[in-house]
Amino acid sequence: MIKELEKIKEQAIKKIEEAQSTDLLEQIRVEFLGKKGKITEVLKKLGTLPAEERPKMGSIANEIKEIITNSIQEQYQIILEKEIQKKIEEEKIDITLPGRTCGIGHMHVINQVMSEITDIFIQMGFQIASGPEVETEYYNFESLNTPDDHPARDVHDTFYVKPGVVLRTHTSPVQMRVMEKTKPPVAVIVPGRVYRVDNDASHSPMFNQMEGLLVDEDITFADLKGTLMYFVHKFFGEETAVRFRPHYFPFTEPSAEMDISCTVCKGKGCRVCKNSGWLEILGCGMVHPRVFQYAGYDNEKYQGYAFGFGIDRMAMLKFSIPSINLLFDNNLKFLEQF
Amino acid sequence: MKISLNWLKEYCNIPVSAKELAEQMTMLGLEIESMEEPGKEIENVFVGKILDIQPHPQADKLVICKTDIGKGEPLQIICGAKNMKAGDKVPTAIDGAILPGGLKITRRKMRGIDSFGMMCSGAELKVEEDSEGLLILPPETPIGEDIKKVLGLDDVIFDIEITPNRGDWASYIGLARELSAYYNIPITLPQIQIKEVEKSVSSVSSVTIECPDYCPRYAGRVIQNVKVAPSPDWLVRKLLSAGQRPINNIVDITNFVLLEIGHPLHAFDFNKLNENRIIVRLAKENEEIKTLDGELRKLKANQMVIADAIKPQALAGIMGGADSEVDDNTINVFLESAYFDPISIRRTARAHNLLTEAAQHFQRGADPEMVLWAINRATALIQELAGGEVLQGILDEYPQKIERKFVKLRYERTGKRLGINIEQNFQKSILINLGFAAKDETEREVNFIVPSWRHDVTLEEDLIEEIARFYGYDKVPNTLPKIRQSSAVFDASFKKIHNIRTLLVHKGLTECYSWTFSNPEIMQQLKFPDNYLNMVVLQNPLSKNLSTMRTSIIPNLLATAQKNHLEDTISIFEIGPVFIPDDKNILPEEKQKIGILLSGYANPRLWCYNERKHYDFFDLKGIVEDILNMLSITYRIEGSEFPLFHPGQSLKIKNQNKELGYLGKISPKVAHELEINENTFIGELNLNDLLNIPLKKKVYKTISEFPSTSRDLAILVDRIIPVADIYTSLKTIGEGILQKIEIFDVYTGEQVPKDKKSIALGFTFCSNEKTLTDTEIDALVNEIINRLQKQFDAQIR
Repeated sequence: MIKELEKIKEQAIKKIEEAQSTDLLEQIRVEFLGKKGKITEVLKKLGTLPAEERPKMGSIANEIKEIITNSIQEQYQIILEKEIQKKIEEEKIDITLPGRTCGIGHMHVINQVMSEITDIFIQMGFQIASGPEVETEYYNFESLNTPDDHPARDVHDTFYVKPGVVLRTHTSPVQMRVMEKTKPPVAVIVPGRVYRVDNDASHSPMFNQMEGLLVDEDITFADLKGTLMYFVHKFFGEETAVRFRPHYFPFTEPSAEMDISCTVCKGKGCRVCKNSGWLEILGCGMVHPRVFQYAGYDNEKYQGYAFGFGIDRMAMLKFSIPSINLLFDNNLKFLEQF
Repeated sequence: MKISLNWLKEYCNIPVSAKELAEQMTMLGLEIESMEEPGKEIENVFVGKILDIQPHPQADKLVICKTDIGKGEPLQIICGAKNMKAGDKVPTAIDGAILPGGLKITRRKMRGIDSFGMMCSGAELKVEEDSEGLLILPPETPIGEDIKKVLGLDDVIFDIEITPNRGDWASYIGLARELSAYYNIPITLPQIQIKEVEKSVSSVSSVTIECPDYCPRYAGRVIQNVKVAPSPDWLVRKLLSAGQRPINNIVDITNFVLLEIGHPLHAFDFNKLNENRIIVRLAKENEEIKTLDGELRKLKANQMVIADAIKPQALAGIMGGADSEVDDNTINVFLESAYFDPISIRRTARAHNLLTEAAQHFQRGADPEMVLWAINRATALIQELAGGEVLQGILDEYPQKIERKFVKLRYERTGKRLGINIEQNFQKSILINLGFAAKDETEREVNFIVPSWRHDVTLEEDLIEEIARFYGYDKVPNTLPKIRQSSAVFDASFKKIHNIRTLLVHKGLTECYSWTFSNPEIMQQLKFPDNYLNMVVLQNPLSKNLSTMRTSIIPNLLATAQKNHLEDTISIFEIGPVFIPDDKNILPEEKQKIGILLSGYANPRLWCYNERKHYDFFDLKGIVEDILNMLSITYRIEGSEFPLFHPGQSLKIKNQNKELGYLGKISPKVAHELEINENTFIGELNLNDLLNIPLKKKVYKTISEFPSTSRDLAILVDRIIPVADIYTSLKTIGEGILQKIEIFDVYTGEQVPKDKKSIALGFTFCSNEKTLTDTEIDALVNEIINRLQKQFDAQIR
């Protein structure tokens, strides 16, 4: 009987080692260890043995049973490993192929810049304000201390709609609309389209400006400089130099223009900055007493600053766009670059 | 304004280099547009004297000259010019010379004969626009002198932008005044010497001012027996450096004095003035004058003229009249120096579109106290350069004396406005240097008398600006204010609109940005309803097709689609205003709209897509639904009759009775006319109305702990029944237990009768209170089936 068992064991181990699939292993398990399996069959004969031999034979049979079971287990692990390896091999893909997407779109470069700029000012505490693009001459000029006969009107090249109504030439009229709506403190920025009769390589009849107005009891010219310098450093980078030059606007006094060190040559002088090292980007000043008078603000009690700049120019500088006309041409090959 | 540094130095001795001066002027508010050194490139060009001219044996058009440049042997130079003769002095470029533009002159053979240099024209040295022949120099010019010095090319020319408030800067003396104040250096005014004859001016002429509001001051002098001739070189060169064309000595002198002091003058031919007298008056309606530019101008009754006893002889302060022009035959001159009201000059100049140099000076405000200085300066120069007898006295009518203004400065206000304390004495000294005079002084404030040339200073803030300018804007510190907001809201939609923009970009659309101009023709061509043709019209448009403001964004999007027709996919949007005239208000209504256009392929040509799908109606509808859902807006959909659209593939979106927008496939006819892809889908939403709809308040709904069960159902209904009706009808079943209805298939085709469609519906049931039994769900499904059969005559498949 021992011999028989040994033979079965050898048979089983051989089969197990030759088996290459988990299915086959299961068959082998049934063949040897199943209810009608070969070991079981042998064990059934155990009763025919003398009583004193039974325990010994029983333990041998169980030992062999365990050996076969373990060996099946081992082989099973080996096969499984192989099968997983095979599966992995088969499922290998070219990971360099592009992903499945219809792509994301492109926000217009003006709105990207507009959003970046408004974020900077909103974080500082400004609110957004807006006003009509078709505007009365009163708001666009007169209430900003620019009466009809003022020479400053010459530079504006205004589009007229009807007597007293124009396309706004700047975002400044919103200053007055805001001040009429509320008493100080006022802290607003006004992004928006503006219009001037001008169309050539460096001018577009429609372009974009951002106005800023801050009025309270103690707002100073130093605050104006500090605010705008903070903005420039956030937008163009900390290394950008800033300078303020006296200038003239009818609605501010003192007035200034702000230059930044040329973003192309870093101030060394190049074609973009006409070799000056500076780029003029912004007009500003302390709100003119006559503007406060129109707004009904007490010039003795309140003071404030205002500034205005071209968003298109900011975008052009930021992205090295050579011509303003590209911005409004809607060429997809342009729009999809940003 | 072009300013020569050499000329400027005649009035004040500027203590810094040209470069430093340019920087300092910039920081004073005198913006330097450009800075040029005209002679910078010129090298080795000297004054030469032509000793001899002989014909060239091999060339008819060339001559051989011997020219002495004061160094060694005379040079043999071959020349093609004809205007010179032996003895003339000319600019001579020697071997190795460099001319403007970098042109290098070398010794070379010309038709077989050596030429050792080149004699130059004015154009070649860039002192004239163009030249005929060589530049002949005055006989007294020293031989061998560097030409840069002779022609004043060793100069720096600044182009300065003068702001409209500072007319007083627009002259040499005006600039010198500013710089002498800044650098604290003296200013040197030219000496004026006039020799008057005994005969008095009032014995031959008179001045009457009929409109003192328009002309507060008018002065005149008469100079007899002048000799009109070309101006001397120094004068010509000065005018040329300012970009002015020399005419004759009399006219040139008036122009020179304008450049020098900024006060416009006019010279009349005295003999051509009827009755030899001047009347300053307003024109009669439709009165005519022929101005110096040859134009016959019809005048209006509010326009000021300088007339003689009979007719206008000048458009006051703007341009002289042709009839009394000083010409070569003029013997007696009437010289005018006046102060005209800036506004009246501006109005008249604008009306005639005649913004002359004189008009520009007067409209910015001339100096009423400079009237006599200017007339005397010009008179002295006329006497010097044109001879003649100056009649005794000046006809100086000054009926409305222009008083000096007073402006009070409270010293502490300067610090309060600027954010830095500037010492009182320093504040005061700045203003004194600038010509202000202190009056009524106390410890804390001063009353300043404003100089007669400073029309821009009327308020305390103007004085503070002067102090800030001279103190230096760069020395004012940079501080961050404590910012306090108003409680009012000035724009509630900016952020929301930006969110929509971001949504669309993330959905793969590209944002456009168009000019907001339009025209009625394009709206007609696109078959927009008539109300869209009611447009805001521009009085001075750039062109006919930009003559109105847009009433819709769609034409812009279609233009963009046309422009980009070579792209195989276009998915774009634009957000911006449209303008709708409003009869009840002076201003039109401005509405923010969003326009979307899809055209071409919906997916990219990519390895993972089996085929490329064209955009269809539901791509666009899905995008619009996403916007509406993002804003939590309830809406309903109706068919649209918009003629721009395909009648079977268009809809409008409504909330109550408000139309929020429309979308659809472009009508095949319009697509054909515009030559754009027929598979183009466009929509436009009214953002103002969308954003004004009160939001559906979001309230938490219990998430059920119990399992949900799904059942599917396929039905056959008439093809014309809208799925939305079925959806709406079934939604009310089950009191909240029917949680979701999905429409997962719609089929028309061979498998169903021609007028029918098959719809596959999925239902999800779930209760918050218990696990639903099959019986309960079956009952609900039966209710659904019953309703479908009853209301829609549906067959269950």
